[in-house]
Amino acid sequence: MNCKTVFTIPVFGGIAVDEGVVVTWIIMMVLALLSILFVRNLKVENPGKVQLALESVIEWGENFFKDIIGEENKRYIPWLMTVALYLACANLIGLFGFKPPTKDLNITAGLAIMSMLLIEYSGIHKNGVKHWCGHFAKPVPLVAPIMILEIFIRPLSLCMRLFGNMLGGFVVMELVEQVVPLFVPIPLSFYFDIFDGLLQAYVFVFLTGLFMNEEME
Amino acid sequence: MLRLDFNLVLTMINLVVLYLILRKFLFRPLMNIMEQRRTMIADGLQHAEDTKKEAYALKSQYESALGGAKEESTRIIGQAKKDAKAEYDRILDEADQAAGKLIRDARETIDLEKEKTLRDMQSEVAALAVSAAKKMVKQQYGADADQAAYDQFLKEAGDAHDDK
Repeated sequence: MNCKTVFTIPVFGGIAVDEGVVVTWIIMMVLALLSILFVRNLKVENPGKVQLALESVIEWGENFFKDIIGEENKRYIPWLMTVALYLACANLIGLFGFKPPTKDLNITAGLAIMSMLLIEYSGIHKNGVKHWCGHFAKPVPLVAPIMILEIFIRPLSLCMRLFGNMLGGFVVMELVEQVVPLFVPIPLSFYFDIFDGLLQAYVFVFLTGLFMNEEME
Repeated sequence: MLRLDFNLVLTMINLVVLYLILRKFLFRPLMNIMEQRRTMIADGLQHAEDTKKEAYALKSQYESALGGAKEESTRIIGQAKKDAKAEYDRILDEADQAAGKLIRDARETIDLEKEKTLRDMQSEVAALAVSAAKKMVKQQYGADADQAAYDQFLKEAGDAHDDK
């Protein structure tokens, strides 16, 4: 249950690298290799089956995020799709015998902080610093403290929701496997690993997009 | 489990790196291709639309040209008919005139002939009268002789006329 330290980088007095980060590296490597492998010989006319499949997936994701953040903010879509892809892989990697990195608070906190930065950046980029500073006092200046707190509450909720769900699922699965190692874990694994994992990935990027949209108004 | 340390920073770096990798190898190429295809399809549709418009323009042009040709042909036929009618009338007129002239000529000829015949006849009658008078004088004098001479004259004159 604890996050094991895989190795320590001997700089700055030793940086302990956790399991989750190493698994993330593996996921990154696999995703990069698959991308390089499949995204080749792209054709405008007569695309192959692999290309068609990839295109339909990308297009589906693009449309999904366009519906949330709007056509004019499609520059953020690749980032959101990257996070969605990473989270889907990270949550499902338990099926291959790895510990899901998302059950590590450091990982979800990192993701949430990146989301926070992106949410605030998108607002500032769209409406300017002045508007961004001013929007805390709307609709009445009285709510300003709550609005400022919201900057941190949003990523905190994102982080904790993902972490709690994944850790909970992981723990339940471990316990079930301890008690009944055969057959019973299969349907539960479908629920906790696949369904919950994909659902949490979806919720994370969906909410990030929603908050961005809110900020960009 | 519930501790935050440098792994958080590593995660953020990881995410940025993953984003850059996927953008370079996955999203950019695919989205470019999709964009190109969209542009191509839009171009194709635009081209088809243009071609269609052009075809319609040509069609209306041809139709108007065809209509003009029809009018022209109708006009030509009308003109030809008129010309033919005029020619026909002219020929008929000429024929009429020629026939009239012929008839007039024939009549004149006949009249001349008649006159000539009449003149011939008169001279014949005169000759007859002279010969009858000669005979009368030669034969005898008296009423009988007058009567005979008259009969003779009538007979001869009538014969001469019967011949004709």
